[in-house]
Amino acid sequence: MTAAASQKQGSAQAQSRNGGSLWLRVLDPGERTLALLLLAPTALLLALIIVYPVGRLIWTSVHTLSLTSGAPAVFSGLENYQLMLEDPVFWETTRNTVLITLITVPGALVVGLCLALMANLPFRAKWPVRLSLLIPWALPLSFAGLIFAWFFHSEYGVVNDVLRRIGLPGVIWFNSAGWAFAAICLTIIWKTSSFMALIILAGLQTIPRSLYEAADVDGAGRLRQFWEITLPLLRPSIVVALIFRTITALQTFDIPFTMTRGGPGTATATLAMYIHQNTVDFLDLGYGSALAVVMFALSMIVTALYLRMIRARG
Amino acid sequence: MLSGKPLRFLVGFILVVNGMFPALWILFTSLKTEAELTQKPITWFPHAPTVANYVRAFTDQPLPLFLFNSFMVALLSTMLTLLVSVLAAYALARLKIRGRDLILSAIIAVSTFPLVTLLVPLFEIMRALGLLNSWVALILPYTVLSLPVCTLILVAFFEGIPRDLENAAMIDGCTRIGALFKVVVPLSAPGVFTAGIIAFVNAWDEFLLALSFNSSPTLRTLPVGVTLYQGEFAFPWPVISAALIVGIVPIAVLIVIFQERVVSGLTSGGMKG
Repeated sequence: MTAAASQKQGSAQAQSRNGGSLWLRVLDPGERTLALLLLAPTALLLALIIVYPVGRLIWTSVHTLSLTSGAPAVFSGLENYQLMLEDPVFWETTRNTVLITLITVPGALVVGLCLALMANLPFRAKWPVRLSLLIPWALPLSFAGLIFAWFFHSEYGVVNDVLRRIGLPGVIWFNSAGWAFAAICLTIIWKTSSFMALIILAGLQTIPRSLYEAADVDGAGRLRQFWEITLPLLRPSIVVALIFRTITALQTFDIPFTMTRGGPGTATATLAMYIHQNTVDFLDLGYGSALAVVMFALSMIVTALYLRMIRARG
Repeated sequence: MLSGKPLRFLVGFILVVNGMFPALWILFTSLKTEAELTQKPITWFPHAPTVANYVRAFTDQPLPLFLFNSFMVALLSTMLTLLVSVLAAYALARLKIRGRDLILSAIIAVSTFPLVTLLVPLFEIMRALGLLNSWVALILPYTVLSLPVCTLILVAFFEGIPRDLENAAMIDGCTRIGALFKVVVPLSAPGVFTAGIIAFVNAWDEFLLALSFNSSPTLRTLPVGVTLYQGEFAFPWPVISAALIVGIVPIAVLIVIFQERVVSGLTSGGMKG
């Protein structure tokens, strides 16, 4: 738009506003004021629920603040962090969280990719397949945890029933750290792989058929087509899915909480569960905050790594 | 090698079993009697289906209250999310704003924000405002949880509405805000619906904040409520299963009706899973 035109429009707007009543002026402000007004509720909510809490989180993490004593917050520098480094439960829950992330994110990606490739076949009726991918996504995580706790029940669980039917011994899943951890990881992979599949499926459907037809003409086999056409073209959708999945994996809480309560002992407890315990059960807000700062740092690292990966590969 | 129809049938079967079996198994469990449940080897299909577990699910815990709390929190936070994100998305899609890209990046950054880390400060804020054990304590964070994805979905939809329609409404004496709600929003109804369903499911499913902020029995939401059936040592699995089925039905109905919208929303906006 030329300067003259915009000036003309501006004066026309000013004229109509002078002509209009005060009420109309309130209802029909200029473009910039309007933009500010429209974005204000978002800004207000983000300020209350994200920005102020982040500042408060960092502030609390360098104070001794426990609600059980009722004493006011006392500045204690890095004492909470020092305590944390010497706390074996912190290290164990952090290790569990990182392990869950390292196992379930690639796990969900592989399973999700398989589900997506399967769902991409030309089915006559689309809805059964679509629903089968949507139901696991829509199910609350806590429901999935309870359902799979029942699946893995040592006496009456369907998993052990199947194992026994094919001649293997049943496993007492929740009495040993390793098996309990495996059960949790399998549950998380089941719950999250269909979301991966939905994202990847959408990516698959944007790949033009002509590419495969050309590859057929050139004599490239199915496997080669998958590695050289499908996977490279899927990269953008896979990266997006991976970022979200990794960030949520670091926050894992619902499934171990409902399946094992972190047991046996603290063998399957996650960092989020330890933050929750310190905050809500022990009301030790200072220590809970220091733990949360660590998780915050972990997710920042993940986001930064992925963003670099996207940029490096274009 | 399998090909054509038999292959598609087999693959479809695997997909459906993977997606549906857990819910089906819980349905079978919920219909079994205690005696049948402890038979060995276990039975798959209930031999003598009973609704006794459903009766107990409603009498052992205030299940209708959990449903009501979940429904109201999800509904109110969805409405607030939609209102706030419609306004923001309109500004971002239509108005000349300096730093538009910066604002959009900030919104995307918020969508990957780990809300769990803010448990302590949010707990403090809700406590200071006297909001612990209230719907509002959950509605506000849930709104922020879904705000980024809903805004992104709506920006994309608004950009697809011709400006002429809006201008015509404004010439007819409509204000800009009037044109937004009378022309742009109705024309973007599919987008508004998609965003709304995703916000609703996000709120319906959330567990940690609901567990932490609303400890009063009368304000429990469903995902927290279903964990209360287990005693210290007793796990009444058929009753838990019945309660889970009652919780799954509303969300399943929503998904069955709006499946195509949900898929398009999930894959266009990028979101949490």
